[in-house]
Parts: sequence; C-alpha cells; structure tokens
Amino acid sequence: MLDRLPLPAQFDRIIIAGGTAAGLVLTPILLVLVALLIGDQISGPELVFWMAFTVIVIGALATVLLPNIVHAALSLIAALLGVAGIYVLLAAEFIALVQVLVYGGGVVLLIIFGLMMTNAQDDPIVTDGSQKPFALLVALLLGSVFVAAGLDAQWGAETAAVIPFRDFGARLFRDFMVPVIIVGVLLDIALSGAIVNARQPLQRDEKSEGSGS
Amino acid sequence: MIPLENFLILSGILFAIGLFGVMARRSAILILMSVELMLAAVSINFVAFATYLDGDAFNGMVFALFVITVAAAEVGLALGIVLRLFRERRTAYVDAADTLKW
Repeated sequence: MLDRLPLPAQFDRIIIAGGTAAGLVLTPILLVLVALLIGDQISGPELVFWMAFTVIVIGALATVLLPNIVHAALSLIAALLGVAGIYVLLAAEFIALVQVLVYGGGVVLLIIFGLMMTNAQDDPIVTDGSQKPFALLVALLLGSVFVAAGLDAQWGAETAAVIPFRDFGARLFRDFMVPVIIVGVLLDIALSGAIVNARQPLQRDEKSEGSGS
Repeated sequence: MIPLENFLILSGILFAIGLFGVMARRSAILILMSVELMLAAVSINFVAFATYLDGDAFNGMVFALFVITVAAAEVGLALGIVLRLFRERRTAYVDAADTLKW
C-alpha cells in the first residue's frame, strides 16, 4: 500500500511504516488516558507518566529487537527522550536538560557515526545465536524480581523535595568538588584512549620507509 | 501524586529490556545501546529516590549527572574500540573478537 503513495524515493519505507505503527499504537493510548483524565480517574502528572512509560518501553523494545541497527538507534532516541520526560516529572529539570543534550545530541550521534564507519548491515535476530532463550529467561527473571521488590518494599515518608535550578551548580562544585575533578580526568583519559584506538595505524608508512631504505 | 513504586517498576522493566539486549545481540554497537538503556534505568531510580525520600534531593541527582557523564565517556571509548575491531576483523560482531577465548 505504501508504494502507491506519492512519496520521495529516498524515504525509508520501514521508517514510515514504523512511524505509522507507533502513531497507531500511541494514539489510542493517549485517547484512553485523556478520557481517564477528563473522568477524573487519573491526574495530569499521571497522564504524563503513563505516556512516557509507553514511549520508553516501546522504544526500548524496538531498540533491542529491530534487526536494522539504524532503526534501533532511532528507537533509542525515543526511549532516552522519554527518560528525559520522566526526569521533568521528578522535578529534576537540570538532569532532563543534560539528558536531552548529552544523549539525544551526543551519544546517539556518536553511535550513528560509528554505524557509518563500520558495516551497518542488518543483524537478523534469527542468527543471534543460541543464547537468546537463555537471555530472555534471565531478563524476565531479573525484571520480575525488580518489579516485585519495588512493589513489596516499605519506603519511608515521601517528601517530594525540589532543589532550585540555580542552586544546583553552586552546590555541585562546593559539595562534590573532588568527584567533579575525577570525572574531568576520566573524560580526558577516555578522549585520549578513543583517539589512540580509533586513529589509522601507521604501519604502512613504516613499511614503505623500511623498503625504501 | 504519582507513587514511588511506578518509577521503580518502570526502571526494572527498562533494566530487564537492556539486559536482554546485552545478552542476545551480536553487534557491538547494539550491545552499547542496550548498556545505555540499563544506565538510564539506574539513573531513573537515583532521581526517583532523591526526589521522594531524601528531603534534600541533591545527592541522587548528582549521581545521575555522573552516570550520564561516565556513559558519554564510555560510548566515546567503546566506539573507538569498535572501530579498531572493525579495521582488524572487518566485522563489528563481538563473537569475532575471540582471541582470548580458550
């Protein structure tokens, strides 16, 4: 059916189909949530939470299940932006901004460049080896343990503390001065290591020099 | 107000999905993306506990910030290693790097 639509040839059909499927899945959920909101069954923050929940879970599942790695990377963006929405809901605006900047901007861009540099061929889930049922079993067991533990534990009184945006930097550099310095050194080392690992080896030059002399 | 348990359940589900991706996929870059999902799940837990239970809400957020920083460093370094692996073996699958396998 998609072939009959007057779409540019370079459009990726699977991306269009994926977007359509995501819209078809998410729109009824949004409509149900809005109906519940109007009926005073849930509050506004809960509506935002369940929307973010849906986006995160569907995006994460698409990330680990899609055979095409580029589509998986695009799904990862959706999941991580949903996580940023959860941070906003938790009154951590600064973390949400950093999440959007670092993950949505930096990390996913790095991953897509990495895909360009390597062969981003399809990774069919059929050939993913015999460990897949085992992986599914372990993930299900661990996830159910987490969910059961979260539901079962008795937490203290909820406080809903909010830290003002403008206090954050001052307190970060006052109370956590040494960790900030250590993280700076870590970033430095990681940058140097990435350069050393990723640069072109110079063996060909040495060989030609050796044969020339 | 949203109960704290909702965030814990979301975090647990996200961590389990990421763990499945790490164990089931072969492409090194997909494993990297799954690790990002697991780190995001842990950060959600940190921020949720900080907001709901700390009373100050600062320490948990700083932990989330450091997790994001270390994840960025990790992605840069790991992609360098993946590029090196691809240059030596012409593939980005982790089961091609079996030199240390007995």
